[in-house]
Amino acid sequence: MSVRQRNNVHVSGEGPATMFLAHGFGCDQNMWRLLEPTYSRRYRTVLFDLVGSGNSDLSAYRADKYGTLHGYAEDVVEIAREFGGERNIFVGHSVSAMIGVLADLKAPGLFAAHAMVGPSPCYINDGDYVGGFTRKDIDGLLETLESNYLGWSSTMAPVIMGAPQKPELGVELTNSFCRTDPEIAKQFARATFLSDHRADLAKLQTPALILQCSDDIIAPLSVGDYMQRTLPRGTLKVIKNVGHCPHLSEPGASTDAINEFLAEQGL
Amino acid sequence: MSGSQQLLDDAACGLARTASDGTFLHANRTFCEWVGYSSDELCGRRKLQELLTMGGRIFHQTHWHPLLQMQGSIAEVKLEVVHSDGHTLPMVMNAIRRDDGGVTVHDIAVFIARDRDTYERELLASRRKLEALVAEATRLQLELKDRALFAEQMVGIVSHDLRNPLSTVQMGAVLLSRGEATPNQLRVLGRISRAAERANRLITDLLDFTQARMGKGISVAPQPMDLRATISEVVEELALAYPGRKLLHRHEGNCHCTADADRVSQLVGNLVSNAMAYGQPESEVTVTSSVDESSSCVVAVHNMGTPIPAQVQSVLFQPMVRGPGEVQAGSSVGLGLFIVAEIAKAHGGAVAVESTAETGTLFRATFPGA
Repeated sequence: MSVRQRNNVHVSGEGPATMFLAHGFGCDQNMWRLLEPTYSRRYRTVLFDLVGSGNSDLSAYRADKYGTLHGYAEDVVEIAREFGGERNIFVGHSVSAMIGVLADLKAPGLFAAHAMVGPSPCYINDGDYVGGFTRKDIDGLLETLESNYLGWSSTMAPVIMGAPQKPELGVELTNSFCRTDPEIAKQFARATFLSDHRADLAKLQTPALILQCSDDIIAPLSVGDYMQRTLPRGTLKVIKNVGHCPHLSEPGASTDAINEFLAEQGL
Repeated sequence: MSGSQQLLDDAACGLARTASDGTFLHANRTFCEWVGYSSDELCGRRKLQELLTMGGRIFHQTHWHPLLQMQGSIAEVKLEVVHSDGHTLPMVMNAIRRDDGGVTVHDIAVFIARDRDTYERELLASRRKLEALVAEATRLQLELKDRALFAEQMVGIVSHDLRNPLSTVQMGAVLLSRGEATPNQLRVLGRISRAAERANRLITDLLDFTQARMGKGISVAPQPMDLRATISEVVEELALAYPGRKLLHRHEGNCHCTADADRVSQLVGNLVSNAMAYGQPESEVTVTSSVDESSSCVVAVHNMGTPIPAQVQSVLFQPMVRGPGEVQAGSSVGLGLFIVAEIAKAHGGAVAVESTAETGTLFRATFPGA
């Protein structure tokens, strides 16, 4: 099976650098619909789905490989080697920011810069470290995922109550967007929310932007501060936004912050 | 208050409008009552996601929000809402994103879903139970496979490792009896031979039993045979084994049929041995054989004596079942009739028993014509 099929890779645009856009837990590459067109005018952009999400090849999902973020990071290295060029930028949302860090450590030099959107190296509180959650909270999430089995997992499409005010998502995508095999969703949730990669941050020698939202329960401000203190070449930028998806709710402010950072890196 | 205003306020579902960041702008009375906050406590002060459990808040961020943003609407999401007094309520929610004079708002309808939640939890619980049961069944199946393999190995051990020394014993007894043995020694040698013969028969029974129980059935090789000749020969041999007992053979109709001659002999041997064990010693045992025009045949063995109780008759052909009363040492481990039934079955036939005090006991094995 090709990497392109496995990760449902879509390449567009052309430019002096290649930008990889990696979605987070919950949805798929369509999360980048508002940002990607801006960047495909300047760079070659590579969109993909993590195995188990979106239209990736579900038969490639192996619980042992994807039980930790390392499995996803191996895939990212393969994708970047196959579709990347001399200078590669990794934009990772949420858990994918850490997958990008692990991929970088597996293949030093592969990426010239990381733009991390709402990243967190560890979601669970630990001593002085405030990740924002307790183990019980994460168990609650697994339960919520489970009790939405019936609605999310069947082959039936969810009811779309019209498409008021031109939603950005085409109708053809409404059925697959955010719908993940429930077993895989639970395993991915475990791999994501029970991970602790704080020790890996200090090893990352590549410049990294920490794009932090002002009000985000999944990546609270304390996590952004921690990351800036710990990353050798980290730049923290907080934008005013409620929620965990600034690339959806504040696409303008998000691109401004990313552009400024990339300009500083000469990209 | 206008009718439509009342309809909205006291609707049979909770209705709320929030800003795009989740802050409440309006909430109807039903919604306020369900969540335990007044409209003033909600509007401008609280966000929808703040009423959710922590798991629900994460879900709100990772699924609800992106879906509403990209799709414009979202339906049938079930989340736990935390009431102002701390208890949680499962609620099913629909939401639409719309434009209200240039500002994006979210209109939300909620329903309490306690019954649905309970039902779904039961479904999930039974699903987990089923998964556990399937895992257990799979484990048992593997264990059974192991046991079957072990049984097969046992068959090998019994058939080779036990039979070989036994034939040495038999041959030794024969050779010794040809030499200059005293009458006393000859008697002992005769006992050795008969005991070895019995052990051999037991081994044959055990092998057949194992084969039948392993699901392969008893092997038969039906060929054209002379039923009358085969059975008279067996009866003659058997008569020698039961000195002092009367054993008769009667044949009716044709002689030719298609069956496994060795297996038919084994069947007769087992039935006669039973009749000798359980029948009245002074009355005769009769073997009847017959072949009709369609070359289907019947082999029957009859004896007089205490009838077999009805409740025993129903399980008589299962393995390890013995007749009532005494059992001659070594003559039976309760496999004889099971093997009789298996032999008939392997030929496509069947075996039946009738037993009364007046008419005696009659076993009839019928084989369909070829």
